[in-house]
Amino acid sequence: MSHTHTHGDGGADHSHRAAPMVEEITDFEVLEIAVRELAIEHGLFTAEEHRRFTEWAESIEPAAGSRLVAKAWTDPAFKARVMEDAVKACKEIGIDWAEPTGFGTPSDYMHLVVLEDTPTLHHVIVCTLCSCYPRPLLGMSPEWYRTTNYRRRLVRWPRQVLAEFGLILPPEVEVRVEDSNQKCRFMVLPVRPAGTENWTEEQLAEIVTRDCMIGVALPRPGRTADVHPVHKARRPVHSSPQHGEAAQ
Amino acid sequence: MKQNKSLETPQMAIDKSARFKVGDRVRVKDMPYLFYTRSQMYTRGVVGTIAACTYQDLIPEEEAFNLDGQVEQYYIVRFRQKDLWPEYPFDNDTLQTESPERWLELVSDESGPEQERKGSE
Repeated sequence: MSHTHTHGDGGADHSHRAAPMVEEITDFEVLEIAVRELAIEHGLFTAEEHRRFTEWAESIEPAAGSRLVAKAWTDPAFKARVMEDAVKACKEIGIDWAEPTGFGTPSDYMHLVVLEDTPTLHHVIVCTLCSCYPRPLLGMSPEWYRTTNYRRRLVRWPRQVLAEFGLILPPEVEVRVEDSNQKCRFMVLPVRPAGTENWTEEQLAEIVTRDCMIGVALPRPGRTADVHPVHKARRPVHSSPQHGEAAQ
Repeated sequence: MKQNKSLETPQMAIDKSARFKVGDRVRVKDMPYLFYTRSQMYTRGVVGTIAACTYQDLIPEEEAFNLDGQVEQYYIVRFRQKDLWPEYPFDNDTLQTESPERWLELVSDESGPEQERKGSE
């Protein structure tokens, strides 16, 4: 791509545009706003109700998922109930998938499958079509989970994508990608790591981070946060005109 | 206030039994569709194994437009990555995804043409 740059007093050449800091609003976002405003106008719900629901939905954290995994690690009978009927078992840790409508939210549905890892089987979850995610347990999905980059590459090059997250698995471990494309929601139950014997459920829950339940990381003692490497921007938008041109 | 009936699907009566069982070999059909589907192109024509019978619900092609239709059985289908992507280098790796019944056909003959895929990238 080539275009002329006329820097200086700023704005003399309108063909030049700075790289956007955020993506432009999508058609679906426009549609959401339009439908929401129509719904408010027609009295289906009020703006106040919408605000309260949005705040509630955005306040959910992955802590419930962490509790579920920790309990499954320490209580084999609970784990069996999770495998039998995960939505029902969620009630034991205080999560009701039917909230707040009585039949779940429109996009979470009422089907949950917990995928159990073994020493020779590793699950990792993606939604190639959009961003299906077990929100009652894990809250809002991370931004990278919704990117087309992750979605299109994970199904085809899972080991390479996992390596970018710092997770390199030996070839003898089967990597099983779960493309969450319909109404089931999925969560990974990782293998309980060595060195956690005699830990309490609370201690165990601390190392079961969101990434471990998506399957892009493994829990281990001492790892209590999802930290991804931050690379320095190679072409910062605030670079001087000379540098900016040199980088083109 | 009229409620969107698609929101009521979890309570829908199950009126049809599953055609496939866990372990059955199935091929994802390469069917035409209008406007909307959730059956990914990369699975079309590929043979996999039924890993689970999940639930019964409307099909996305109808539900997306709020059309009444028959509920049908959904399955989790497991594929070998090598069958999805011929150049895939790890023999053991697999991929699972969900499919409603009408997108699947039973593969009885193991010597069947597994690789006759259309629309591969």
